[in-house]
Amino acid sequence: MIERIEILAGIKKLPAFSSTVVRLSSLVNDPEAGPGEFEAVVQPDMALTANLLRMANSAYFGLSRRIGSAREAITLLGVRRVFELGAMAAVDAVVPETLPGYGIDANVFWCHSVAVAVIAERLSKERKLATPALTFTAGLLHDIGKLVISSFLADRIEALHSELASGGLSLMACEQKLLGADHAQIGADLGAVWNLPEEVVKVIASHHTPNVVNEGRGDILVDLVHAADCLSHSMGFGADVGGMNRQVDDAAIARLGLRHIDLEHVASRALPEIEGLSQFGRSQRKGTSA
Amino acid sequence: MTLVTVEIADLKTSTDPDAVIVTYALGSCIAVIVYDPVRKAGGMIHYMLPMSETSPEKAKERPAMFADTGIPLLFHTMYEMGCKKTDLIVKAAGGGALYDDHGHFAIGQRNYTILRKMFWKAGVMIAAEDVGGSKSRTARLFVGTGRCTINSVGEETEL
Repeated sequence: MIERIEILAGIKKLPAFSSTVVRLSSLVNDPEAGPGEFEAVVQPDMALTANLLRMANSAYFGLSRRIGSAREAITLLGVRRVFELGAMAAVDAVVPETLPGYGIDANVFWCHSVAVAVIAERLSKERKLATPALTFTAGLLHDIGKLVISSFLADRIEALHSELASGGLSLMACEQKLLGADHAQIGADLGAVWNLPEEVVKVIASHHTPNVVNEGRGDILVDLVHAADCLSHSMGFGADVGGMNRQVDDAAIARLGLRHIDLEHVASRALPEIEGLSQFGRSQRKGTSA
Repeated sequence: MTLVTVEIADLKTSTDPDAVIVTYALGSCIAVIVYDPVRKAGGMIHYMLPMSETSPEKAKERPAMFADTGIPLLFHTMYEMGCKKTDLIVKAAGGGALYDDHGHFAIGQRNYTILRKMFWKAGVMIAAEDVGGSKSRTARLFVGTGRCTINSVGEETEL
């Protein structure tokens, strides 16, 4: 078991999350906010602007001319995409080289985060749902609790392997058994410290337990990220020490009305986008843990 | 040693005796591994989904994404290298499943079913397989010897 004071110390050790991206996330949810407001927030952040321009000028977007300012990026790619790229740069900056408790490197964590972000948006579109503005961001950030508890799990790695090998327990349940806490709860603590929007913190806290949200009525954003997390693991993005020991919540899948044909269609469409966007991580390299 | 990496929805072949063909993180996806001991040639596909009818346009761009377009392509690529069907040793790995009571995410099972159907129709025997369960797997084929290994959570087994 770990004490709360140890968790808080673990949270303090992580780099701060970009305050620019937190401010942008409130603009994304504001129907009154226009490109000018976005530009005013992005432009003073030179590191973020440089990252945005690097991404926007990559072959992935195939723009016909080189762009040199946040304003041009917003005009050509749109505020939503620019915000999503900003969120990606912010997450990429806080991921350590390895997550030893999960037996993965930064690249595996990064690709899984991008995959869940992309798939969550595509699942929503597949079902023609009103996609919440923070869907991509919530997908990207859903597993940040792992950044905090990886080292605690690493100290108990033999016990973790033994629990997983004996079968029956999901990775989340193993975390609870060995640490008395799990990456969803601790991620929500971290999200609050980082001042992330409330709906994103709710997703982080509930992405493995979507059926407990709103007294069992669920929440579309939580359901989308849960389903995207499951599909991402099926596709092989995020293979860690837990393998596929993850519970699918039937009620969440039913609320979204997802059939296997929808899931397979989304998987086929999402793959090239995941491959394209995950290239933007600083840690992109070959190889995984398994 | 030359590492030849098979990405998701990808296939690779090699006749380099120093080559190791590898694919990582097989979740519900399946790797079909073929080896010709006569010509010392190997090939591997990492397909993600069973049927190309899900996305015909994606199947045109990346036939290795689907079992029904990718597996025939793997065998034809081996034949073009001079391999004969009767010499090929065929193995399979992957097709894992989440804890999924209602089978919403039974992609691994569907991937395996189509594989068995295709091989039954084509008269192809599977020499060895490590399929199903909740494991994530990494598969390797050592082209010089035909040795095949599966790694999962730090443990290596021969296939």
